Amino acid sequence: MQILGISANNPFSQKTFADSIQLPFPLLSDFPALKTIKSYGGLSQELALTVAQRWFFLIDLQGIVRGQWRGTTTDVFPSEPILKVAREIAEKR
Amino acid sequence: MAAFGIVALMTALNAPAAERPGLAELLKALNVSGYPSVMQPPEFSGFTADGQRVSLAGLSRRVVLLNFWATWCLECRSEMPAFERLHREFSVQGLAIVGINAREGTSTIREYAKELALTFPLILDPSGKINSTYGVIGLPTTFLIGRNGRPIALAIGPREWSGKPARALIQALLAESAALKGTR
Repeated sequence: MQILGISANNPFSQKTFADSIQLPFPLLSDFPALKTIKSYGGLSQELALTVAQRWFFLIDLQGIVRGQWRGTTTDVFPSEPILKVAREIAEKR
Repeated sequence: MAAFGIVALMTALNAPAAERPGLAELLKALNVSGYPSVMQPPEFSGFTADGQRVSLAGLSRRVVLLNFWATWCLECRSEMPAFERLHREFSVQGLAIVGINAREGTSTIREYAKELALTFPLILDPSGKINSTYGVIGLPTTFLIGRNGRPIALAIGPREWSGKPARALIQALLAESAALKGTR
């Protein structure tokens, strides 16, 4: 299972952020075109910043979206619902 | 032969920090991370408390030490005397030390600079735009940018900036002057 983070930030700022919290998975920058973010969850405006809406997508080995979840607050999103679907996919293989 | 030598030197100086001969060891000694070659530090422009405009573009061909700080940050305060010493010693050789404050007022910054006798520019960032563009989420955070405009090092948290490893890294970057002239 590969975890990828995608945000509207530039790659330089993503490195600062990733190093700051020692992030163990890659971050992809969709800046400046924001095409991927627009085609998935969409954008929102926070103060003067354009940011990606907080969505989680689970894509299987065939490229099919098998689940999507929306994080509506800045709280840590529980990983269990995502892991549950991921385990179901793994068991069926 | 001579042409090959120049090409080899330019290739080495434009290589990612971690690939430059000796640079990886200097970064490791200071406990800072390097950058891949494709990255560019974002342009910024701001004003000091005295109204002096400072921009990254205006620091062309200089080694830039960019420190993000705030007056309430105790670890930032401990770094400031070292930055001032580096500024006084190396600015003539091409080192530009720039402090970027986060969301504090002009008088607060002016008093802080007076108290610590700081003479290098301290930029105001009232909206936090520069902090955000650089991805800064904790203070202090410090960036080192080479004469060719490429990012060299990132330090999350405080470092001994007047210690041997920091001085060796800065002196190595300052020594790159001739070959990199005109690349930014």
